[in-house]
Amino acid sequence: MTVSTDQHKEGKKEVTFRVFRFNPQVDSKPYFDDYTIPVERGVTVLRSLNYIKEHIDGSVSFRAFCQAGICGSCGMRVNGLSQLACTTQVWDVLAKSREPGIIKVEPLRNLPLIKDLIVDMDPLVGKMVHYSNWVDSTMPEAQMGKKEFLISEEEFLRYDKATDCILCASCVSECSILRANKEYVSPAVLLKSYRMNVDSRDASHDQRLAELVKDHGVWDCTHCYRCQESCVKSIPIMDAIHGIREDAIESRGKHDTSGSKHAEAFMTDIEKKGKLIEATLPIRTNGVVWTLQNLLPMAMKMIMKRRTPPPPPLVKSVKGIKIFRAMFKEMTEHVKQDHKSHNK
Amino acid sequence: MKRYAYYLSCINESMTKEVDRSIELWQKDLGIELVKLHEGTCCGGSNLEYVSPKHFALVNGRNIALAEKMGLDLIVSCNTCLMTIRTAKKKLDESPELKKEINEILKKEGLEYRGTSEVRHLLWVLVDDVGLDTIREKVKVPLKNYRIAPFYGCHILRPSTVLGHDNPRDPTSLDQLIEALGGETIPYTHKNRCCGFHTLLVAEQESLNVAAEALQEAIESKADFIVTPCPLCHTSLDGYQAKALKNAGIENSIPVFHISEMIGLALGYSAKQLGIKRHIVC
Repeated sequence: MTVSTDQHKEGKKEVTFRVFRFNPQVDSKPYFDDYTIPVERGVTVLRSLNYIKEHIDGSVSFRAFCQAGICGSCGMRVNGLSQLACTTQVWDVLAKSREPGIIKVEPLRNLPLIKDLIVDMDPLVGKMVHYSNWVDSTMPEAQMGKKEFLISEEEFLRYDKATDCILCASCVSECSILRANKEYVSPAVLLKSYRMNVDSRDASHDQRLAELVKDHGVWDCTHCYRCQESCVKSIPIMDAIHGIREDAIESRGKHDTSGSKHAEAFMTDIEKKGKLIEATLPIRTNGVVWTLQNLLPMAMKMIMKRRTPPPPPLVKSVKGIKIFRAMFKEMTEHVKQDHKSHNK
Repeated sequence: MKRYAYYLSCINESMTKEVDRSIELWQKDLGIELVKLHEGTCCGGSNLEYVSPKHFALVNGRNIALAEKMGLDLIVSCNTCLMTIRTAKKKLDESPELKKEINEILKKEGLEYRGTSEVRHLLWVLVDDVGLDTIREKVKVPLKNYRIAPFYGCHILRPSTVLGHDNPRDPTSLDQLIEALGGETIPYTHKNRCCGFHTLLVAEQESLNVAAEALQEAIESKADFIVTPCPLCHTSLDGYQAKALKNAGIENSIPVFHISEMIGLALGYSAKQLGIKRHIVC
C-alpha cells in the first residue's frame, strides 16, 4: 500500500473535538464543548474521547467497553454519520471534515438522550421483546440437553450475516421512517426478526410474522437503504426486510395488508401490460374510501395540471406484450417447480 | 453524436411526462441521442424483487438484453428504476445459474442477457460522458441568480454496492452539474436523505413527515428551488408538497425541478416548452 508523503511527515496533529453536551438534570438546552488535543495517526475517536475524559474534562459522558468493534457500545455520530467510535480513525474522519481540523461528535438519533453521547437503548430492547427477537425452541423441554439440533449449511447461510449484528444502533439512528415515527419497528429489530423467522429451530414464526405485518411494522420501510449503508458490520439489512416481505406474501397471502396489496400490484400489472397502472394503485392498495378521503384534493389539482395517470383502459401495453406474457408465464412455472422441490 | 438506449420509466410515461419531453428538446444540443426502448417493461419499482425474485431477474435481464441487442448502454432517468435494474444486473452477473435460466426463456424473443451493457443514470452520462466543460460551453442562460438545493434521492446513491457512482455520504455529481449551468448550490443536509415516496400509500403520515423535513430545510435556507434527478422524489416533493407542509404546520412553498428541466432552462428553452407549468408548485 502506498502512503502519501504528507502522512509520513505529519504523524501528529492538533485536532478539535466538538462534543455534544447535555445533562437534562442541569442544562436547559444542549450545547457543544470544543476540546483541542494532540492526536497521532492511527488513534481512534474513542481513544481521543478517553484522552479528553482523563486529561481535560471528566464530566464528558459516553458509553464504551470492548474498544475493538465487538460489543457495539460506542455507537455515536461522528461528523454526522452514525458509527462506532472505537473503529473510526481520527485521520480518516479529518480528511472529510467540513470544517478543517474539527470533528463533531454527537449522540445517536432516534433514541432518547440520557446524557451527552449516551442514549437510552430501552425503547429498542422493548421492540426486540415485542417482536420476540429470540429463538423460541420447537424442542420439547424434556428433550433439551439430550438431543442435538442439526442445521444445514444452506439454512445457516440464510441468516449467517444477520447474526453479525452487535446492536450498536447505528442503523436505528440513520433510519428515515424512525425519524418520522418513533413507533416504527426499526431496522435492527427487522433484521433480528428475519434471523429468527428463517431458523428451523424456532416455533414462533407465525406469531412473529403476524406482529411484523401490523402498523409500524415491515411494510412501513421506505427502502431508503440508509440502514444498510451505515451498518458497521456491512450486513445487507434490506435483504432481511425484503425476506420478511417475501415470506409475508407467501405465508399470509397477497391480500393480507395494504403493503402486500401494493407490492403485488406491480407483479400483476407487469404481467398484464408490461407497465404499472398507476391510476388505480391507491384504490388497489387502500380501497375506495381511503383514496377518496386522502387523495381527492390532490387529484383535483393534478387533473387541472393534466398530471393524472391515464385510466386503465388507456394504458397502452408495451410493444411485444404477447411474447413477454408467454415468457412471464414460463417463469411462473419455474417458480412453481422451485416451490415443489423446496417443499420436498 | 453518442447513442444510448433509453429506458422508459412508468412514471415518466404518465405523471411526469415533462421529464422525457424536456430531454427530447436538448439531447442533440449536448451531442447525445437517447433511443427509446419501447419494448422495455416496468422494472418492478423496488417491489418485484421480493414479490418474485425470479420474475424480477427475468424482467430486468430482458430490459438490459434489449439494450445489448442494440449494442448500447441503458440510460435511466428515474433513481428507483436505476437501482432496481442495476440490482438485477448484479444478481445475474454473480449467478451463472440464474443467467442461464433466464436466457433459456429469453431465447423465445431472440434475446440473450450477456452482461455487456452498462446501466447508468442520465446524470452520470451528463457528468462523465458529455462532460462539465461541454455543458458549460453550451449554456445560453446561466442560472446565475439562483440558489439551488440539490436533492439526490436515495436510489442513485444507496446501496453503494449496487450504485457506486457518488459517495453516498457526500455526493457531488448534481452539485457539479448545477455549478456548470452557472447556478449556486446551497449547503443542504437533506441532499442524500429520503423523500418518502415509496411509502406514500402504505405509511402516509411517515412519508409526509420525511418529505416535509427535506422541504423545510430548503425553504429555511432560502433556496430558490430544489432540483432532483428522480421523478419519484419530484412527485413526493412537488405533488405532495402542500399536504406535507400543511401537515408540518409550515405555510410556505418551494418549486421543485427535474434535472432535465434545469438543463433546458440553462440551454435557453422556455418554462412552457419544458413543461414546468405542469408542476403542482410553480
